[in-house]
Amino acid sequence: MDAMRPIFIQIAQRIENDILSGALLEETQVPSTNEFAGFYRINPATAGKGVNLLVDAGILYKKRGIGMFVADGALARIRANRREQFRDEFVRPLLAEAAGLGISRAQLADMILSDTNKEEGVA
Amino acid sequence: MTIDARARRPATSGALTRIVNVARLHLTQKGPLLVLPWLILGFILLVNLLIWWILASALPPADRVDAADSMQFSGASTFIFVYMLVVAVQAINATFPFALGYGVTRRDFYLGSSLTFVLLSLYYSLGMTLLAELERATGGWGLGVAMFDVVFFDADTPLQRFALFLLAFLFFFFVGAATAAVYVRWRSRGMLVFFAALALIAVGLAWLATDTGSWPLIGGWFTENGALGVAVWSLVPSTAAAVAGLVLIRGATPRT
Amino acid sequence: MSTVIEVSGLSKRFGKVVALDDVSFSVGENKICGLLGRNGAGKTTLMQLLTGQQFATSGTIEIFGRSPVETASVLERICFIKESQTYPEDFSVKHVFTSAPWFFSGWDASFAEQLIDDFRIPTNRRVKKLSRGQLSAVGVVVGLASRAPLTFFDEPYLGLDAVARQTFYDRLLEDYAKHPRTVILSTHLIDEVSNLLEHVIVLDQGRVIIDGAADDVRSSATTVVGPRGAVDAFVGDRAALSRQGVGGLASVTIHALTSDERHAAGDAGLELSPVSLQQLIIHRTNSSSREFEQSA
Repeated sequence: MDAMRPIFIQIAQRIENDILSGALLEETQVPSTNEFAGFYRINPATAGKGVNLLVDAGILYKKRGIGMFVADGALARIRANRREQFRDEFVRPLLAEAAGLGISRAQLADMILSDTNKEEGVA
Repeated sequence: MTIDARARRPATSGALTRIVNVARLHLTQKGPLLVLPWLILGFILLVNLLIWWILASALPPADRVDAADSMQFSGASTFIFVYMLVVAVQAINATFPFALGYGVTRRDFYLGSSLTFVLLSLYYSLGMTLLAELERATGGWGLGVAMFDVVFFDADTPLQRFALFLLAFLFFFFVGAATAAVYVRWRSRGMLVFFAALALIAVGLAWLATDTGSWPLIGGWFTENGALGVAVWSLVPSTAAAVAGLVLIRGATPRT
Repeated sequence: MSTVIEVSGLSKRFGKVVALDDVSFSVGENKICGLLGRNGAGKTTLMQLLTGQQFATSGTIEIFGRSPVETASVLERICFIKESQTYPEDFSVKHVFTSAPWFFSGWDASFAEQLIDDFRIPTNRRVKKLSRGQLSAVGVVVGLASRAPLTFFDEPYLGLDAVARQTFYDRLLEDYAKHPRTVILSTHLIDEVSNLLEHVIVLDQGRVIIDGAADDVRSSATTVVGPRGAVDAFVGDRAALSRQGVGGLASVTIHALTSDERHAAGDAGLELSPVSLQQLIIHRTNSSSREFEQSA
C-alpha cells in the first residue's frame, strides 16, 4: 500500500488485492460503498470514488438495484495492469536501494534466485 | 401505522406548534414549577397556624380579637409572586441558549415562554382563588387567619379575586421576563445599568410628585380606581414589560 | 448538487476584535465537512453565525437559500451541538431526550436509545452531575439521533475516551450512509477525523486558508527528506511550506508532486513521505521554520 496516494486509490487497490488473492471471485458481489466506508472508517464519497475507479476500469460492474459485482475477466485485467506497474513500483526502487548499498547486479540476481529456492524473507 | 405517519410529519411545522413546543420545554420539569410552590405555601400556612394557635392559647379571650386583626395579613402569600418572578427569570435565562441549540427562533422562544407564563398565571390564580374560598368557608382555617384572602382590597366576588390574582401574576411574570431579557442581552453590565436607571426613574418620579405636590392626586387616583381598577391598570406595565422582553431577546446572543 | 451553506464576505467583530474577516465558502448538500483550525481561529463564531445565534457585522449567509437569522423554516432543519452547551436548570438526562423529539422532526427514538447504551449514559442523573465525557456524549446522541438535515458538532467529544470517540465516528458513518445529511464537524483531533471528511475548511485568525475536497487537500503536500544539498537542488524554487534540518539532513514540505517528479526524487536518492491533514494544517497555520542544532 502506498501511503502517498489518495485514500480512494488505496481503496481501489485493496479491492484489487482481494480479487488477486481470490478473496473476491469473479461474478460475485462486493460489499457496498457504505460497507467499505464503515469498514475502513472513511467517508462514503471517498469509498465511492475508489469503487468508481474500478467500474471505469471494467473491473467492477453495477447490477441495477442489486449492487456491485466483480466483472468477468477482472483478475486477468488486474494482473496485466499490475505487471505493467511492476517495473516502476518494485524493480526500480530495488535497483536504486541495491546501488546505494553497493550490491552489484549479479549479486542481486543471485539473491533473487536463491530466495526463490529457499523460503526466506528479504531484509 | 398511525404512529408511523405521525412520526414522519413534515419537516416544516406551524408557528403555533413551535411555540407550544417551547412551552412544553419549559414545563418538562413539572415539580419545581407546578408542585413545589404549593408545598412551600402549605408549609408557611402550617407554621402560621401553629404560631396563631400558640398565641391564641396563651392570650386571654379578650385580647384575641386584636391579635386576630394583626394576623389578617401575614404577607405569606406574597412569597408566591416573588417565586414566580424568579421562575420567569430562570426560564428565560437558562433555557434561551438551550432552545437556540434546538433550532428555535428567538421570537418563538419568547412567545412560547410567554405562553408558559400565561398558563402558569392562570393555574396559580385558580389555585389561590380556591384556597381563598376555602379559607373563607372554614373561617380562616378555624382560627380566623387570613393568608390567601385578599384582605386589603375590595374584591367582593370570587371572580374578582381571581382577576386580581391573575393580573398580579402576569405582572410579576413579565417583569421577570423583561429583567431576564436585559440580562440575556447585555449580561451583568446591562443589569447594572438597568437597575441604576430604574432607581433613578423611581427617585425622579417621587421627586416630581413631591415637587408638584401631586401625592394627594396619586392617592386619589388609587382610591378612585379601586383595587380591581388599579390591577387592570397594571396591564399597562405588564404589557410594556412583555413587549420590551420580546424586543430585547430578538437582539440577544447566547453566551459563548 | 445543491448548496446548503453559502457564505460570502462574512465578517464578525466583537468590539475591536476581528473574529472573522471576509470569509467566503460554500458547502454542498449531504457532505461531511470538517471545520478545522487552531483555538481562537473563529470556528465557533462561524458556526454561531451559520445557525443564526450571532449577528454578522457584514457579509451574507444563506442556509438552504435563506438567512438563518430568525428564520424558523431554516432553523428547524438545523441541530447545533456546542462544546459548552448549557441546559435548563435541574434538567436530567431523561428530560433532554424527552424534549429533543419536539424540535427535530427526524428524531429517531430507537437510534437514540441504542446510542445511549453505546455511550453508557446514566439517564436518571441530572445534567449538572454528569462528567465532562458524559456531557459530551449527551450532545453527541442528540446530534446524531436528531438526523437534522444540517448538523453542527462543535468540539463534540471533550472528555470522551478513545473508545467512545471511535463509537461516535462509527455511528456517524453508519447513520450518515443510511440517512445522508450535511454535517459540519469542528475539532482539534484532525488526524482522527481526517478520513471521515469529504470537504475541509481551515480557518486561521478569522480567515479561510484552506477550502477544498478532502481528497485534494490530503494529497496537496509532500515532504522531501534527504541530504541537504540534494533536497535543496530538488526543491529549487518551489514554495516550501516548512523546512527543517538536522546536520546534513533536510526535510522540506512542498506542494504535491506529479508521478514523474516523484520518480525524479527517488532517482536523486530522496525520500518522499505523505503529509497528513493535521501536519498540513500545522504547516499552514504556523509559518516558522526550525533548524535543529546538531548534537554531539
